[in-house]
Amino acid sequence: MISLQEENELIDQILAGRQEMYARLVDQYKSYAFTIALKILNNKPEAEEAAQDAFIKAFQHLKSFNRKARFTTWLYRIVFNTAVSYKRKNRHIMSSIENHDKGVHHEEFALERHDKSVFLALAMEKLNEADRMAIQLYYIKEFSLEEVAEMMGQRMNTLKVRVHRARQRLADELTRILKEEALTL
Amino acid sequence: MNMDKITLSQEDSLQDYLDGKLEGSALLQLKNVLAASPALQKRLEDLRQVHQFLNTNRLESPTPSFVENVMGGLQKLPATHFPSPRNGMLLVVGVVIAAGMLLSMVSAGFFDQFNGLISLEQIAPAKKYFQQSLPSLPVNGKLLVKILVGLNLAIAFIVLDRTVFRPFFQRRAGG
Repeated sequence: MISLQEENELIDQILAGRQEMYARLVDQYKSYAFTIALKILNNKPEAEEAAQDAFIKAFQHLKSFNRKARFTTWLYRIVFNTAVSYKRKNRHIMSSIENHDKGVHHEEFALERHDKSVFLALAMEKLNEADRMAIQLYYIKEFSLEEVAEMMGQRMNTLKVRVHRARQRLADELTRILKEEALTL
Repeated sequence: MNMDKITLSQEDSLQDYLDGKLEGSALLQLKNVLAASPALQKRLEDLRQVHQFLNTNRLESPTPSFVENVMGGLQKLPATHFPSPRNGMLLVVGVVIAAGMLLSMVSAGFFDQFNGLISLEQIAPAKKYFQQSLPSLPVNGKLLVKILVGLNLAIAFIVLDRTVFRPFFQRRAGG
């Protein structure tokens, strides 16, 4: 993990023309960027492309980074927006793939009917997109509510409500599914 | 009062508790209420399961060529190119020589003959669109050339800064 001071020094060097130093920043934050994109796109090759694209955009606009927030907050916002625009662009393609995937998943689920995590994964699919994104980003290691709110361009309170509501729905859904399961036994 | 009914504020407290954001009197209060309410205990258990499930989210790693691909992408960017320091210096020298020549021509009185008035009436499009008589504009050739020389020197300074000074100081700052 690099310190804030090191991060600022790296950015100064990159802005001074030492483009090769950007590799350190990319290496440092690639997993986070990729995970964010993956949570939104749910497709590894596409998430990788979106994350790479976001890093290139961040490099292009590095001069406009005003350092009021941390570099990561600014970067993850770019990753989030890039992934969302990829999702919009490829929605029609994704939907056909997702439909195909769902068929496969349901077969897998049928084999593990009593695993609560499987039920919760199913329940996640029932959340609306914004709530699902909020909760998935919040649970990516080390992200605070403030960071996720900044990333998604939402107010902290709105984000907190989304996260709370999503968890409530998941808990309700889990209770409902478990009750149904108990009745069928 | 129905003790099994969970209020919104209790629900929020349970979630704050799971996030580790509840402390002091609020934490104590929730613990007291929890101890007395099996429904709240059950709800906490449900929410804890959700919390634990979501906590299994882990960082995913991209392919090993990720950094290389990004850096390769940077090379393809349409970057703003400045001449090399050598070419920059040659450009600056050329601009300074041209400015020097112009200034010596000014001091030799070469542009004195370009002083005078330009009548806007003589410009055909102006005649076509304006009914009223148009004024004449005073022109000072010497002043115009001096302005041009000044602009050239400003451009020369920018070129010198971008091609020689800035890269030099950036290298020093970068160690």
